[in-house]
Amino acid sequence: MARKRGRGMAAGWYGIARTASIDRAGTWVELDDGGTAKVVTGVTEIGEGILTVLAQIAAEELGIRPEDVTVGDNDTARVPEAAHAGATRQTYMIGNSVALACREARARLFDEMAAHWGTDAASLRAHNGTLRAEGTNLKCAMREAVDICKKRGVVPVGAASFTAHHTGLDAADGSGRPWQAYVFGCQVAEVEVDTVTGEVQVLGVWAAHDVGRAVNPKGVEGQIEGGVVQALGQGLMEHYQTVDGHTVTPGFAKYILPTALDVPQVTCVIVEDPDPIGPLGVKGIGEPAMVPTIPAVMNAIYDAIGVRITTLPATPESIVAALGRKRQAETAAQARAQ
Amino acid sequence: MPDLSLSVTVNGRTLHRTVPPHLRLLDLLREDLHLTGSKEGCGAGECGTCSVFVDGVLLKSCLVPAAKVDGADVETVESLGPRGALSVVQRAFHKAGASQCGYCIPGMVMAATAALRSNPRLGDEEIKERLGGNICRCTGYQKIFDAVALARDVLCGVRPASALDEEELKDGSFIGTSVRRLDAPSKVTGALRYAGDMTLPGMLHVKVLRSPHAHAVIRSLDTSEAEAMDGVAAIVTAADVPGKDGFGVFVRDQPVMARGKVRYVGEAIAAVAAEDLVTATRALAKIKVAYEILPGVFDPDAALMPGAPVLHDYAADNLVKHIPIRKGDVEAGFAAADVIIEECFETQQVEHAYLEPEAGLAYVDPDGVVTVHSPSQNITHHRHMLSDILALPINKVRMIMSPVGGGFGGKEDMIYQGMLALLAMKTGQPVRLVFTREESVSTTAKRHSARISYRMGLARDGRITASEIRAVYDGGAYGMSTEGVIRKGAILAGGPYAIPNVKIDTYGVYTNNTPSGAFRSFGSLQTQFATESMLDMAAERLGLDPFELRRRNAMRAGDTTHTQQRLDSASLLDVLAGAEGAARWERGAPVVRGAVRGDLAGEGTRPPCRLGARFAAPVPEAQAEEVA
Repeated sequence: MARKRGRGMAAGWYGIARTASIDRAGTWVELDDGGTAKVVTGVTEIGEGILTVLAQIAAEELGIRPEDVTVGDNDTARVPEAAHAGATRQTYMIGNSVALACREARARLFDEMAAHWGTDAASLRAHNGTLRAEGTNLKCAMREAVDICKKRGVVPVGAASFTAHHTGLDAADGSGRPWQAYVFGCQVAEVEVDTVTGEVQVLGVWAAHDVGRAVNPKGVEGQIEGGVVQALGQGLMEHYQTVDGHTVTPGFAKYILPTALDVPQVTCVIVEDPDPIGPLGVKGIGEPAMVPTIPAVMNAIYDAIGVRITTLPATPESIVAALGRKRQAETAAQARAQ
Repeated sequence: MPDLSLSVTVNGRTLHRTVPPHLRLLDLLREDLHLTGSKEGCGAGECGTCSVFVDGVLLKSCLVPAAKVDGADVETVESLGPRGALSVVQRAFHKAGASQCGYCIPGMVMAATAALRSNPRLGDEEIKERLGGNICRCTGYQKIFDAVALARDVLCGVRPASALDEEELKDGSFIGTSVRRLDAPSKVTGALRYAGDMTLPGMLHVKVLRSPHAHAVIRSLDTSEAEAMDGVAAIVTAADVPGKDGFGVFVRDQPVMARGKVRYVGEAIAAVAAEDLVTATRALAKIKVAYEILPGVFDPDAALMPGAPVLHDYAADNLVKHIPIRKGDVEAGFAAADVIIEECFETQQVEHAYLEPEAGLAYVDPDGVVTVHSPSQNITHHRHMLSDILALPINKVRMIMSPVGGGFGGKEDMIYQGMLALLAMKTGQPVRLVFTREESVSTTAKRHSARISYRMGLARDGRITASEIRAVYDGGAYGMSTEGVIRKGAILAGGPYAIPNVKIDTYGVYTNNTPSGAFRSFGSLQTQFATESMLDMAAERLGLDPFELRRRNAMRAGDTTHTQQRLDSASLLDVLAGAEGAARWERGAPVVRGAVRGDLAGEGTRPPCRLGARFAAPVPEAQAEEVA
């Protein structure tokens, strides 16, 4: 049989937000006319879906709908600092910051509405555009609540900063608290290796990742699927090459990327081990999704053909060469045995 | 060659134009008609972001000379849905969560539409084949396949149109519900404007002169002839930097443009702002640079040797940073081991390959605030650095993060925003720079290549007694994120395992290679690849199932990490169980048992790709019956 199958697994871990240095993010919120909201913070979408995640968090905390939330972002002259879009920090740092700011704006509104209704602010619940006082038949649309609040002379605004208390590493032994939230992941890969051409096809990946709490499960899956395929690219085909510093892979004809025909079916298992520190329990997924894929695939290649790939990428050429070395070693061993 | 005249129908409107012969259909659409839904990703027909219909045929408009569409009927992504509405394909992309950064999505929507027009009942495998000419870097394609299958089923009547609607709330909460992405409509229609899609009145176009040498002293730099050219507004070099010249995430070792010396091929030397790109490109050829070529060093281990060429005066040993981690006593740990495994690993430099090449638009606003729009992943830090570089108060520098067409860490470095700011200040006009794909690949940061030597000791029962790891990362010519990358690489190197004795050293090294920087998983992908390979080698030696080996070593709540931090929670056992269960893993030691496994080719796998054999695959029977 020229084509051989195998399976491998690998685990991994990752720290959430900036490494070995304190991390912080700020947000301003206003519950606005019409029962809408403005959420203003300093980063924007890089594709991971953070704007939707922030709108979901704000909607849940303020008692309105995600489509009622306008996220004002991305402008150092108009928004508070939220620092960079990276380090798997957006849902954790900015999500938690948005939640805290929303709670402050909501408290301002609830205080006015409790006074207006003559109830206890603690009994108020807002959800999906409606405000209710528990144990009473008092209710109104959030649109009206904002209107009443403003007529009482109060604009329901909030501001918050969320901090991750990380410390630097000791210069001698590296001890320290580089993160306060860690995530873990594990993936299984199934491959088919063509022993004639050396081509490896990854047919399935099962990816289990702890994300703390999944704000948008489909978005989490998107991050896992994208991370797996990006890692598979590095594992099997991508290779930026230079000769004496001159790039010899300057375009997509030479720098080979995974296409629709190269990708496995990915099965995502979302594990939720809530972060005990932040107000939402969320952690993150962007970067850790990539970590176990390559070793899982290399372990699967070993399972299929008995060749251990230690130099990336595992191109068809390198697989064929490794199989050749394995055959030579086996022949030599047989000769010695005889 | 004289200009050519053409008449063409674009999205139902007939136009007459006189165009230069080099103009591509993509330029006509984007620059003349402002139909920026068609994106430029590669300029070479390789990525599909510029896909349009010409007389109903799906084509890549970057490969079509504008003059060739004389008399043709062109449809762009803007034509698919009536104004403000979405087509079924677009709604399916929205529902399925198929767009992430969105830059490839208009092209994907066009390819999907073409596929469904040619075969309304195409099978799942044919979907993949039909999308094979369009690259997506974010999604891993899964949700895109889901979207096309959903559109097919709705169009065929297999699923109701309500399948495209928002889902019900899960447990009454917006958190935990897969709310459709709020930004998706702007992405599936191509309405969202990335930095390279933006224009302002009076805007100038920028091109950058780059070093052809990996390591050289700049003896002289003469821009006078280029500056005198008709249409050239200004040229900036290092001499135009008014403040403290230097940027970098951890050490500000990189000048906005080369200052007296170049350290890698492609390093920026000068930037030209001109009325159009052709003039700017011609001006580059008129800039005279005299170099004194220096020996270069291209291997990080060689760069650490005494006598190696030195890149930066402040780092005579070419060392960016060394991160040591020590816990317990590794020699005692190896002495107590029953099995010791040693191996070396190498990983390569990798390109981020976001589909949106770097682009930016800068101007000075009426209040004297220098404003830069760019897909920067770190506007906060860029503002700090640019304020120092321009010697302006921090509130006179404004960084606006335009929609990012893929980042993955590659857009954290401020590699071109400084040039744009200087040109905006010098010309008083808006300036725009858009990288070519070749510029983006050749001159921006990569994932660090790494060379890792690993020694692991284990007891017979599988417990790791000691791990010793040494990793050398090639940082390339400038520091960028190297210090952070090797720090994260070190902290996570040992893996999520409770190991009593650990010795880890990571080194970031300067060489004359393309700089390495931040890339998704940031230095830890390299070391964890080695750790997880080592563990399978150990599992084979010890005759243990690889899940079981990891369970025996798993970090649990209450354990301390390699950096001696006590963990209050740890979910490794949960994710091990999750993956093992979902994959229906057949237990056993990893002894090359692929041929005898019983858990292969089941649920969760796709059929292997056998090119050309797949168009024959019919629509799954159940679906075909329902359609009938």
